[in-house]
Amino acid sequence: MKMKSTGRNRGFPLLLSIVLVFCILGMIVFSVSRKISQEMSESAIQNLNDSLDLIQYAIETILNKETEFQLLIAQEIAAAEDPIAYIRSREKNNTMVKISLILTGETEGISNTGEQFSEAGLDFSMERRINGLPVSQSYLNYMGTWAYCIKCPVEREGQEIASLYIEYVYDTLDKLLPDGFYNGKAILYVMDPESERFVLKPKGRGLRDAGHLNLEDFYRANSIEDPTLKRDVAECLKNGINIMFYHDIRSVNALIYMWPVNDGSLYLVGYVPIEAIQQEGRTVNQNILIVVLVMLIAFFLCCLLYYLNQRQQNKLRKEREIEREIHNRQLAQALQAAQIASNSKTTFLSNMSHDIRTPMNAVLGFTTLLAMEADNPVKVREYTKKITASGQHLLSLINDILDVSKIESGKVVLNFEPFSLNDLVSSVDAIIQPMAKGKHQNFHVEVSGIKHEYFIGDETRVNQILINLLSNAVKYTQEYGNIWFRIVGLKQRSAQYDHIRIEVEDDGYGMTQEYLKTIFDAFTRAENSTTNKVQGTGLGMAITKSIVELMGGTIEVFSEIDKGSLFRVELEFRIPEDQVDQQFWDNSGINQMLVANGAPETCRDIVLLMKNVGVQVDTVSSVEEALELIQKDSEYHVLLLDWELPDLEGTQTVQKLRVYLPDTVPILFLAAFDTVGIDGVLELAHTGLLTKPFFVSALKEKILELRGAAWEKDQAGGAKENSLAGLHFLAAEDNEINAEILEEILKMEGANCEIVENGQLAVERFACAAKGEFDAILMDVQMPVMNGYDATRVIRALKRADAGEIPIIAMTANAFAEDEKAALDAGMNAHVAKPIDVALLKKVIERYVKRKE
Amino acid sequence: MKKRKRSLKQLAALCLTGTVMLTLASCVPKAEADKNLLSTQESDIRTVNLFGPMEKSKPDAENTARTAFDLTIAMAEEQLGVKVDYRTYTAENFQEKTYDDVTLDRVRNHMDDLYLLNPDTIQILGSEGSLMDLSSLESAQNLREIVKTANFVDGKLVAIPQEIVAHGLFVNQDLFDQYGLELPETPEDFLECCRVFQENGIQTPVGANRWWLENFVFAQAYADLYNGGNTQAEIAALNSGERKYSDYMRPGFEFLQELIDRGYIDAQKAYVSEAIEAEGPDFLAQKTPFFMAYWGAANTDTAYGNPDFKLQVIGFPSSRGQMPVVSMTGYGVGAGSEHAEDAMRTLDVILSDEALQVYSERNKVISPSKNVEVDCIPALQPLNDKIKENIYVLGSNAGMKIEQWGNTCLIVRELLNGASVDACMEAFDKLQEESLR
Repeated sequence: MKMKSTGRNRGFPLLLSIVLVFCILGMIVFSVSRKISQEMSESAIQNLNDSLDLIQYAIETILNKETEFQLLIAQEIAAAEDPIAYIRSREKNNTMVKISLILTGETEGISNTGEQFSEAGLDFSMERRINGLPVSQSYLNYMGTWAYCIKCPVEREGQEIASLYIEYVYDTLDKLLPDGFYNGKAILYVMDPESERFVLKPKGRGLRDAGHLNLEDFYRANSIEDPTLKRDVAECLKNGINIMFYHDIRSVNALIYMWPVNDGSLYLVGYVPIEAIQQEGRTVNQNILIVVLVMLIAFFLCCLLYYLNQRQQNKLRKEREIEREIHNRQLAQALQAAQIASNSKTTFLSNMSHDIRTPMNAVLGFTTLLAMEADNPVKVREYTKKITASGQHLLSLINDILDVSKIESGKVVLNFEPFSLNDLVSSVDAIIQPMAKGKHQNFHVEVSGIKHEYFIGDETRVNQILINLLSNAVKYTQEYGNIWFRIVGLKQRSAQYDHIRIEVEDDGYGMTQEYLKTIFDAFTRAENSTTNKVQGTGLGMAITKSIVELMGGTIEVFSEIDKGSLFRVELEFRIPEDQVDQQFWDNSGINQMLVANGAPETCRDIVLLMKNVGVQVDTVSSVEEALELIQKDSEYHVLLLDWELPDLEGTQTVQKLRVYLPDTVPILFLAAFDTVGIDGVLELAHTGLLTKPFFVSALKEKILELRGAAWEKDQAGGAKENSLAGLHFLAAEDNEINAEILEEILKMEGANCEIVENGQLAVERFACAAKGEFDAILMDVQMPVMNGYDATRVIRALKRADAGEIPIIAMTANAFAEDEKAALDAGMNAHVAKPIDVALLKKVIERYVKRKE
Repeated sequence: MKKRKRSLKQLAALCLTGTVMLTLASCVPKAEADKNLLSTQESDIRTVNLFGPMEKSKPDAENTARTAFDLTIAMAEEQLGVKVDYRTYTAENFQEKTYDDVTLDRVRNHMDDLYLLNPDTIQILGSEGSLMDLSSLESAQNLREIVKTANFVDGKLVAIPQEIVAHGLFVNQDLFDQYGLELPETPEDFLECCRVFQENGIQTPVGANRWWLENFVFAQAYADLYNGGNTQAEIAALNSGERKYSDYMRPGFEFLQELIDRGYIDAQKAYVSEAIEAEGPDFLAQKTPFFMAYWGAANTDTAYGNPDFKLQVIGFPSSRGQMPVVSMTGYGVGAGSEHAEDAMRTLDVILSDEALQVYSERNKVISPSKNVEVDCIPALQPLNDKIKENIYVLGSNAGMKIEQWGNTCLIVRELLNGASVDACMEAFDKLQEESLR
């Protein structure tokens, strides 16, 4: 505002200065132009005077010559013997159109034209003279043109013997007058001042309008009405002096002149338009004007260029200012963000410090207690259990932190593999259900509208999303609360991808609207964990959102304080080309199935899912209807009953059904995870429980189980308990404690191992080992001398028959997917993250190690 | 860097301005030294001198007829490369030589080349042999018969007009309507109208000048001669002296005498008045309901065009009803003129169909060419209708041995000056006798 007013204040004086300069310039140009005009006008008037003088002198010369010639003729007549005969002999010419002679003492004479001549009709009364000879008033002669007569005495020996009259026509003067006076713009008459008659007029097309007759006609035609002026003119005419005055003639300013010839015996009368007089002056002024205009245009062009330039500069400056502002804002935002991040991280570190110290405190505390109570097995078990729990918690904290770090640095790579929705739900259910139970919460799992059960995706990450959401729901829901886990099939956007909505809802504490805005930001927690009994890193939701977005999905949250929260995740999963297990149903001869379920949605879902594997499903809503249908058609290969059917009576119902159904047809009950009172029924042959929600793969597993395959499998699994017993491992581990732990664990499992300190030693040891000496190599990755990857590559490259076969299992704290990939790429068979999960290690070893016969 | 860029721009602007200035400066041609600066090329423009009357009326008004004529002259100048110089005359007063007098003098003394001639001078100069035969002109082939009849003298076409001048009675229709009068058909009707007007305070109902009162005479004298179906025989009888002009003229003169006697015409004023000068203002001021003039006067601002009342132009009263009097002025070439050939060629251009079309359209007149037809203004419609019906009398006829237009005008002037009708008739008889000698 201040700057604007400053600019205006600066602009006004500038404008004023320019205007002033222009005014001064204009005044100078105007005065110069005016001076030039005036000088040129004066010069032009002088030129007109000169021209009129010239015409005047020329006419006077002619008149004088005429009189001189007439005197010569008079002398000739005087010398002639017979003057009359002389006259008759003279022929008229263009100048002297009539020559007459009256002898002295007579009233009539003779003309050269032959007729009688008298002075009657000639008026010499005004005593005008040329060269001393009297001149008559002008008259129309016998030729129909204006003429004048000069009278001249004919003297012989000093005595006047006759008078010579010669008639001259004014037409002869016509040749003296300028042709096109002032380019034809000026008008010039010759006037007889006595009669005020115009005796010689301009010619040319159009010049026969009014005004050419006489002075009065001239006045009338040219609107000269001022009596004073007329009087002045009359006075001048009377005295034979010239007069010149300005007057508008038909709206054109003109200079009117009356110019005496021969002392006023004739007058040159006419006018010249001022514009004709000032033609040169006007041209000069026009040129000055053009120059001024050109200079003005040039000046304004310069101004325009300057203005455009300034505008461009201003624009650039403004753009730069805007850029700078944006930059500053961004910097401020970045600073703010950094400060927030710093604050968050400070808070986070504070939280972490607390969160890590808490379990660490527990570990160390219980370790101390353990050392003290080493002899008390009960205490030892109790303390080790608590140490384990604290360690687990510590591990999850570390995992989360590492996840966030990876996600933020964009290093997370999704691992797409086929997975089953059933497995996903089962694993999540297996984790969350106990947690919920622990808080006496009801955990509801609902699956609806699902058309496919197998997808291609990163199951681990999906699992992570679900665990994060559900564990939060458990955490932030009070005891005896409800948690709903819904998987809903949405309309497919393309044939290759299924569109799934996952909802996690609870009726827990809920969140404030303010918190909802930052819920997905890292290092935020609903409440400061130091004052809240709910523990967490504050990274879970940020990780969840990042993973969802990485998968191309969306996540939304709706929440209300004390009413609960709803997280809604939508994801698209690629559908595998072959939905597995179709062959199982064909081979099993199962192509017809009866479902008794009171919920039509569930029936519809089951029909849809089974249709994909080629099994036709009939649905009824009660046991009674099922019985009726079985009576009519007992060709069902599987019967699925909802445990919550109103008319279901457990064992009795099974017995009723068995009347019509062969014993080999499985009767399965669809029931919730924690259904009570079902155990009795399950003891019946070919009767089983299928945990809600329904999945085809679960059904298949259950059928296999009922048919005995599952049992056999379990038996085989059972036989392989303590599968590590008797195995001999080569372990590369540089950390002594870790090596010792590994050694002890393996020893506890009945296996033994030989520890080497780095990859190089491992290679060497394996190279010199006998074939079959080691069942597998457990390889740390980060080691001195040679790391695990290089060691693996070298081992695989050894020219031994078992070099390519011996299982090499990575055991490393590098726990990410890409670490696993790197391990596999190096030639290892599997990857087990530290800290060592004994069960997992066993499972992996079982998978890869071939037992010796 | 930016500063340098700005400086470059400013320098460019300065250069641009400088270039403009230099360009302008270079437009001024440099005078070449040692070279004759005067043009030595002689003008090859030929001059044709035209003699015609001078306008005396309103100086600022546009004279449509003159403008139309000037347009045709411009065509000739352009086509032929000639320059037409106008030489003019008009009498300052009635005492001075008339235009016709001066024309006669100038033609006889070969003062000019081309002349605008009134009917009387055509007849006089034609019979004297002072005018060239125009029948060889290409434009003459297109002339209407009436034009040829009026301008043939001794077997020579001595003049050709640019328009057929029909004289008519100019009537203030509003005044007639005001007094419930019908437009007059016969002399009796006319007298009755005059009586009514006079009784109603219009003391001198007929505006007159010293030129055109003769139209009343012609209308009554020759209504039967030109419209009775025996025209040539009657003219032959007049030329042979078998019949007397005075017999034809008497009724018209007696009629004029009656108009004068009753005070319907101010004879003294008319005697000294030039055409339009005296009676025009009174007619325009609606002080007089009648006056006589030529066709073109109704078209032009200089005469009676655009009056504040409803103007009608009708024929003069006669026993055969309203009778237009056709009297053609015409252009002639002096037999001894200095530039006769150019004058003839000029005449051929200004009388061509193309020029006459321009002239007639501009002037709204009846063209002498049978190939040119234009509409007339509503006021002239009654007169035009009569002419189209071939009802008219000729005010001049070169076929008559006595020149009609000028002589009758002069004799009417005598009547105005107090001569008796009998004296006027004697003048006609005398003229006839002279013609028969």
